[in-house]
This record gives sequence, structure tokens and C-alpha cells, in this order.
Amino acid sequence: MLPGERMKEPIRYVDALNDYYGAMGNPPYKWTVNETAPLHRLDKPLSECRVSLLTSGGVSQCAMPAFNPDARNDHRLDSISRDAAVDDFQIHDSYYDHTDAEADINCVFPLARLRELAASGEIGSLAEHFWSGFMGRIYNRSKVLEESGPAFAERLEDERVDILVAAPS
Amino acid sequence: MGLVCRLLEERGIATTYVATGRDLTALVKPPRALFVNHPMGNNFGRPGDVKMQADILRTALGLVHSVEEGGALVDYPSDWGEPFEFRPGGNRVEAVSAG
Repeated sequence: MLPGERMKEPIRYVDALNDYYGAMGNPPYKWTVNETAPLHRLDKPLSECRVSLLTSGGVSQCAMPAFNPDARNDHRLDSISRDAAVDDFQIHDSYYDHTDAEADINCVFPLARLRELAASGEIGSLAEHFWSGFMGRIYNRSKVLEESGPAFAERLEDERVDILVAAPS
Repeated sequence: MGLVCRLLEERGIATTYVATGRDLTALVKPPRALFVNHPMGNNFGRPGDVKMQADILRTALGLVHSVEEGGALVDYPSDWGEPFEFRPGGNRVEAVSAG
């Protein structure tokens, strides 16, 4: 992108999804709207931080069952070894076009790139596991806040994760 | 997933969120978000584009220390280079014809 060049107008997903689901006869979706957000400041540099990775793109290792591509309220969360081979993944998600991610998993789940940052010392270390889950279309949000979210937090705390890189799709 | 990031942040784990939906991200307000104006499923760029993948990841990690207020939404300076659209419910998002 050249300096001064205008970024293309972002896609309006909220309108598109309201139209799509409304046309199917569904009541209006109650979007979560937050006015503020928490922030935890880290008092150490990236070179001392342990980092993990999360995708919600229906990504599973080949030996695992496929994700349900049309899932609603699926709280499945897979742990994936930080050493997993980049060609050992399958993607099942009807929500987005994953052709490119199937060709190169790093398009949605950049585990090879994160390993390189650890090898070069830019980040301190990798957590033992990376994660795939929290696919979209979760309507029972209280279960995320009260059950699956806190359970995930405990797993990250067990592995002493400082930073989670989260990539929704 | 933005909700999960908020919850983790409250428990002392820093998060950085790499999103392709700017309006969706603005609503849920994760603690730190990098908006990448790419098709959904190309958060980190194109297959084999190691340089861009690494740059987006590095930029997202940089937000951990640069952001000073929760809910920051930063635009990554990238142009996908060709038109794209979103078709909910379909697993193919085909490029619309130019013009």
C-alpha cells in the first residue's frame, strides 16, 4: 500500500449477517456491544513472554474428528502441540472460504511464523499448546463466560502463557 | 472469540486479536485488535507469503506493549489488491468482477 493511498472500505459484516439471517425468518440477532474493554499491561518485554495461539476457523489435526462446519453453540476446543506439522490440518467451516488456509495453514493459524519468532528470540518462548475452538455462532454466551472461557483460561495459566494471539474466522 | 479475549485479559493474560471484520470487532471490543482488510480466512495474508504473515503477526504482538487503553482497534496497512466480498452461509467467497 502506497503512502496516502486510501484503504478500501471494509466489508459491513453486521449488515450482511442481519440481512442473511433475517431473510431466513430469524428474529434480529442481539449483537454484543461493549463500550469499554479490560487491559492487562505486561511489565516484561516480548523477548521474555510466553506466547500461544488460538484460531476459531474450524481447524483440526488430521487424526482428530472434523469440526462440524455448520456448528451452532459448539464449545469444542482442541489443544494442538506447538510442534505440529503445518501439513497435518483439515478445515471444516461453512462460514468462510478456507481454500487459501488449506494450502497454507499459516493464513489463519500462523504456527510456523510464531515458531520462527521464538527461534530468533523475538518472543521468549512458545506455550506447549496452541488452540482451535470457539467457532462462531455461539448463541449461549453465558456458557462462554461461565464455563468454556474460564476453563480455557485455566489451561493457559497452567502453561504460564503471557500472551494469546487470537485470530477469528 | 472477542468475549474470550476480554475474559482472559481480566484474568491477567494479554491478548491480541487479528481480525478481518472491522465492524464486528468494533462491537465486541476485544482488548487489542489489529484489523486486516483481507477476505475472511486470510487474516495473515496469502499462502506462502511468509514475509507478510510474519509482519502481521509481529504487528499484532507489538500491540501488547503499544496499546494503552482497552478496546484499541488498529488498522494494518494492507491492500488485498483485488475486490472481495462475503457470502454468509456459503463456503465459497468468490471475487466480484472488477468495475
